[in-house]
Amino acid sequence: MDFLSLLRVNRQFAAGVVLLAVIAGFACLSFFSPYPPNDSFVVPPDVPPSAEYWFGTTSRGQDLFWLLTFAIRNTLLFGIVVAVLSRLLALLIGLVAGYSGGLVDRALMSINDTFIVIPLFPILVLFYFVLKDHMSWSLLALMMACLGWSYDARLIRSVALSLRHREFTETGIFSGMSTRQILVEEHLPYVLPIVFSTTMNNINWSIGLEVTLSVLGFTDINTPTVGVMIYWANQHTALVAGIWWWIFFPVLLVVMTFIGLFLLAVSMNEHIDPRSRLGRSER
Amino acid sequence: MSVLVVEGLRAYYRTSAFGVPRDVRAVDDVSLAVEAGEIYGLAGESSSGKTTLIKTIAAATQPPLEVLAGSVTFNFPSGAIDMQRAGRSQLAAIRWRHLSYIMQGSMSVLNPVRRVHHAFVDFAFRHLGQPMPRFLDTVRAHLQRLQLAPDVLDAFPHQLSGGMRQRVTIALATVCRPEFIIADEPTTALDVVVQKDVLAMIRGIQRELGSSILFVTHDMAVHANLADRLGILYAGRLVEEGRTADIFRAPRHPYTAHLIASLPRLGDTAPKAGLGGVPPNLADPPPGCRFHPRCPRASAICRREVPPLEPVAPGHRVGCFHPEPAP
Repeated sequence: MDFLSLLRVNRQFAAGVVLLAVIAGFACLSFFSPYPPNDSFVVPPDVPPSAEYWFGTTSRGQDLFWLLTFAIRNTLLFGIVVAVLSRLLALLIGLVAGYSGGLVDRALMSINDTFIVIPLFPILVLFYFVLKDHMSWSLLALMMACLGWSYDARLIRSVALSLRHREFTETGIFSGMSTRQILVEEHLPYVLPIVFSTTMNNINWSIGLEVTLSVLGFTDINTPTVGVMIYWANQHTALVAGIWWWIFFPVLLVVMTFIGLFLLAVSMNEHIDPRSRLGRSER
Repeated sequence: MSVLVVEGLRAYYRTSAFGVPRDVRAVDDVSLAVEAGEIYGLAGESSSGKTTLIKTIAAATQPPLEVLAGSVTFNFPSGAIDMQRAGRSQLAAIRWRHLSYIMQGSMSVLNPVRRVHHAFVDFAFRHLGQPMPRFLDTVRAHLQRLQLAPDVLDAFPHQLSGGMRQRVTIALATVCRPEFIIADEPTTALDVVVQKDVLAMIRGIQRELGSSILFVTHDMAVHANLADRLGILYAGRLVEEGRTADIFRAPRHPYTAHLIASLPRLGDTAPKAGLGGVPPNLADPPPGCRFHPRCPRASAICRREVPPLEPVAPGHRVGCFHPEPAP
């Protein structure tokens, strides 16, 4: 079943794709912004949504529409970078641990379990207080990737463990495939559907955590992200002052992103796993 | 010269639970030889060590299975190779190209999430040394020779029927035209009609390539149809070996005799007598002949000493102190 027929058959998938396409299109608008993201007082402050300023303007004299294009772009990129990096770690560790077994498995899984029980939020706040001004968007992404791989590595390991004694693995060993070839050619395609659906969850998780940290001011507050926008709105007591649009639009966009990713995560499996995909199309 | 010579092979599963060592003597002192262009059938009930024996022959052993004694030698045109002493690169050089192995449960040799042509590329490509387009042509030609449509290459394994999948795995094992093929129960999961086709296909490809086949199954009917010579395994030991026709007509070992007598024959309505007892636990086999607790002909010597495998007729060897009389 190709992409178009999946769109037609699976409503969840279609809704997810539409939502994310809107978000991605919106993020791309940032390249056409008339104002750089960090310039303030380029437009009159505190103007409610109108024909001229669609989403209104902030108390710092920024056009919310254009500022939000930068914010959502950074937030999405953040989620994708964290997800991709942590997936690479999880695949490498999960596949190697499951296939090797024995001492390698035990060593890797004890590291893995250590990461699972580490309380993430206090650690990230601690990092912020240690790094302070050195904290940047990319450093935070790297840190979250290093903390976010452990659940998936365990999941992948459990699948790899069962693949280890399948006939195609043993035939591969017999025919002289190297360990790397067996992991990449035979086992990786088997775990990919799982990885794809957890990728969406991981993007959600990292965006959620990033927004939380930013709202509290524990990140680099000079790079506009959705969380940072809410942080500045709070700093200017936007809700008390009645500037509701400063909070409303960032929250709306991030909720749309969450729902879109969630819908993709639940329906993605059907597109990627050939067995369930064909089972559905034959029905 | 024999293609495969196995001498005095012993392979045990060695484990230790709570410091107590435990040996499961799955293959004990087995010697056999397979000639060029011959189909050698290996028969025996479950847990008689059939799969262990051929894994050891293919040097595909993994702990806890250990080879304690004996040798396995293949004499290929490219030179003789001692499987127990050969290095990894030597083994890699002969596998698939000269020696291929259809594994037990071979229907699942194909990775369920990858199209069939990937299996050919993954397992056979590097052994043929052809550039990719020519390799794929070779594969297509080979499939056609086995009466398989080349479209199966683009299918996922679950889209093929059981018989098709089995034929694809046989094509996979024979695409490099190996001199020796080891087949572990390749027809067990198939119904008799498909089984007949698959057996005809194995026979056909064997005639065409002139390969030798070591064929393992517990199904005596399959052996009767396919094997030139037959070896009977009981509890990890070879108890009788001879030409298939001889063994079916006049089995000499009491175990083989009961095995053959248990086969149903057309028009025979007499009730079949079973043999009491169960095969021994291979972790603690009985002393002497391993069949003696169940053997109606057992005597004192059978409880003390292991009967050697000795010729009773040309090309017919039996490991028994009191073989059945010749007809």
